[in-house]
Amino acid sequence: MSSNIAQFRLIFAVALRNLWLDRLRTIIIGGLIGTGAFLAVIGLSLLLDVQASMRASITQSIAGDLQIYSAGAKDKLALFGGSGFMGRADIGSLPDFAPYRDAVLGHPNVAAFVPMGLDMAVLSRGNELDDAIDALRVALKAGDESIITGRVDQIKFQLDQVKLELAARRLLSSDQVEIDQQERDLARALAPEFFSQGKAIDEEHLQFLETKIAPLSGEKLPTYLQYIGTDIAAYRANFPKFKVIEGAALEPGQRGIMLSRKVREELLKNGVAKLFDKLHKRLVKRGGTISGDEENQRFATDLSKQYQQILSYLDRPNAEELSAKLTARGIKDDSPDLVQRLSHQVSAFLTVDDKNFSERYHWFYEHIAPKIKLYEVLPGQTITVRNYTRSGYIKTLPLKVHGIYNFDGLEDSDLAGVLNIMDLVSFRELYGQMTDASRKELEAMRAQVGMRDVKSEDAEAALFGDGGLASAAPSEAASETVGDVSSSNQALIVKPTLADFFDPAEVQNGLALNAAVRLKDPSQQNRTEAELRDKLDQGGYKVNIVDWQQASGIVGQFVNIVGGTLVFALSVIFLVAFVIINNSIIVGTLNRTREIGTMRAIGAQRSFIVTLFLAETGITGMLGAFSGAVAATAIILMAGRKGIPAANDVVTFIFSGPRLYPVIHWQVVTSVPLLITLFATLASIYAARHAAKVQPADATQEKE
Amino acid sequence: MAAVVKIAGVEKVYPLGKTEVRALSGIDLSIDEGEFTTIAGPSGCGKSTLLNLIGCMDIPTRGEVYIEGQPIAKLSDRELTRLRLEKLGFIFQSFNLIPVLTVFQNVEFPLLLQGRWTRAERQAKVTALLAEVDLLKQQQQRSSELSGGQRQRVAIARALVTNPRIVLADEPTANLDSATGERIIELMKNINKTHKTTFIFSTHDPQVMRQAGRIVRLKDGHVAAEQRS
Repeated sequence: MSSNIAQFRLIFAVALRNLWLDRLRTIIIGGLIGTGAFLAVIGLSLLLDVQASMRASITQSIAGDLQIYSAGAKDKLALFGGSGFMGRADIGSLPDFAPYRDAVLGHPNVAAFVPMGLDMAVLSRGNELDDAIDALRVALKAGDESIITGRVDQIKFQLDQVKLELAARRLLSSDQVEIDQQERDLARALAPEFFSQGKAIDEEHLQFLETKIAPLSGEKLPTYLQYIGTDIAAYRANFPKFKVIEGAALEPGQRGIMLSRKVREELLKNGVAKLFDKLHKRLVKRGGTISGDEENQRFATDLSKQYQQILSYLDRPNAEELSAKLTARGIKDDSPDLVQRLSHQVSAFLTVDDKNFSERYHWFYEHIAPKIKLYEVLPGQTITVRNYTRSGYIKTLPLKVHGIYNFDGLEDSDLAGVLNIMDLVSFRELYGQMTDASRKELEAMRAQVGMRDVKSEDAEAALFGDGGLASAAPSEAASETVGDVSSSNQALIVKPTLADFFDPAEVQNGLALNAAVRLKDPSQQNRTEAELRDKLDQGGYKVNIVDWQQASGIVGQFVNIVGGTLVFALSVIFLVAFVIINNSIIVGTLNRTREIGTMRAIGAQRSFIVTLFLAETGITGMLGAFSGAVAATAIILMAGRKGIPAANDVVTFIFSGPRLYPVIHWQVVTSVPLLITLFATLASIYAARHAAKVQPADATQEKE
Repeated sequence: MAAVVKIAGVEKVYPLGKTEVRALSGIDLSIDEGEFTTIAGPSGCGKSTLLNLIGCMDIPTRGEVYIEGQPIAKLSDRELTRLRLEKLGFIFQSFNLIPVLTVFQNVEFPLLLQGRWTRAERQAKVTALLAEVDLLKQQQQRSSELSGGQRQRVAIARALVTNPRIVLADEPTANLDSATGERIIELMKNINKTHKTTFIFSTHDPQVMRQAGRIVRLKDGHVAAEQRS
């Protein structure tokens, strides 16, 4: 035993000597291995951190640990960034999720089963003139003359703006006949008698404004709302990142929608405010400049053209007040016409540069934002969404916006902020499923229009015989109409008859498209997934079960992509290192032929020579790898204190917040250098065996 | 007296491109235990080739080499290595010490390869031999700090430490001045007498040859003459 130890000591001493004699080679190889170890420790540690943070982002916001959906799905479930995105991907459906839930909840590691459905709808909305006309209609109904006067003035002020727009459009339009007609319509609306004092403004006038004049003020682009319908009680209990920041939370049994803050900021905020925000983020938070960044310049140019987004929300008194304020702060214009003057002033105000941006940003929010409609939708208001159901017809649904929410820590993430949350019953209706409420609504509508079921053989008689439907006088619409409707513009305005509440039992079974499964012990995820798959399969439930990474779509694959890239980069580094190691051993063998020959001559077996060379690589590898690992640990410690800032919104989502705070993973720090040493040692076997082929007779070579 | 080395009809041919070089041809030689034999001859006569064959560092193209009656031609590399370690000692013209090791470690090296000696046994053997070659004081020095004669004495101690039956020395005095060379040969001769170790060495130095008990002269790969004193 002592002889073996002494022999190893001897090998160690000789190996160290050779490494010292060939210091440059040792430093190069050790440095390469050290770099590899450094990158491996940093990379793997960050990967584990990112995986953990992404896991938190995804599992605690929407996906759960596992997702279940129909085996008949044509597309793969992709909650974030998938090909069909969440809205229109065909992931099939679970016609009644209750048996799936019961089977899944029977597993001891399952904490919760949350039914869901993912879809997308169009938000119906008018322009600013539509809003003003609506406001006038409400004022007329209330009968408050002072409010009516204010609203009329606001519309008249906007009509002045439309007149200017139309004059500009005439210069560009090829259809002068259409412009002529539009000018005639506008002239009618601008005529003093249209809003003559003392005369009641009837529905015909309002509808003329809505149908003929409001469209001249520009159409808004359709807004697509992506949403998840779910059992709100189960969702709120199992997804802790959900946080209401404005308004109220959607309660179990309540119909309605929670808008994501990001959706409201990006899609439903005043265009000027949005551009100011965007530039503020890029200039102030990220330290950029307008002059030195093409994209910032583009935003600034866009901003200067958006004066209409302010003017169209103003009435005359507010416009005059704003004009005076702008004049007071040095932005003057001589135009006698208020609209023209203010257009020039606001446009000048919105012309920002690096010097004036910060001051104008604050001035905007202090003096202008309170006078305009900053958001199109506020908590408490009802929006109307329209969706193509799975059977192809259009379904429109009014939904009360209960509040605005965020996913905690993911406030700035576009990916996480794309989803709005609604109750499962409303979701089913938009999806096209007949619910109790929609059935009642349909029955009420059938009753209103006098519909009745008729057998096919009696259809002809029922339609055209005596007393048939075709000869019957139109039935009186039972629904409420607003104002006096002239014969030429007769319209039936049906008030939504859907109740604001539903029986919470309705979401304990029935249709869902997918379901999130939360686990008690997420570390047992793979085992639980396999067991659930077996269990559901045995129960005859044909489903896909995917983990949170797969369920997230391309974003969930981020860790795998980064991991693959890291492995590739490390492979290249180590390949280079191993080639150098092998080459240096082979070249070194030439210089050490006599020494190796001497050892062989005096009785050293080839295995001794191989061991000696492997020891040299092993020592180099160990020194390099542990140095790299120590350096990486120090970097991680430093980064852990300050945090790594997320460069953009995608990274914010991946980091599960604005910064990632790396932690030391001791298993990585210890195992990486050991494995690298082992690989480096094993990789030099070929060269070591080559060295061992030196013949004992080479000891007699006369080269010193 | 028994022959420790027997060479029977040995030929050694080396390929050289498309031709062959016949280094040894029809060598028959027997060396008894305890002999102090020198292989003499001009450069290129085959001295080193013959020593390599006797030292089991090479195998003959034809014929057979016997070490203590054991034929070596069919031994594996591992067996040949073992044979060298157990029965042979080597002294090289350029000393061939391992530079990183101390004098003591260089001498101890073959014992470590044998792997059967305790630390105390190794200590005793190495110390005794270093005393014999008068290098006890230098035992912790590295070979690079020694003179040529001292290095060769370390090499002699290393060759003898395993108590081999045969010590082979290839021109052991070629890199030494004549006085030192003489002292080295004297040392080898003393050890030959006291340890009964068989010494076979090559030289073309007439002064060294005079010290030998037997001179085998080679010429063009043949034994040209033999002479015993």
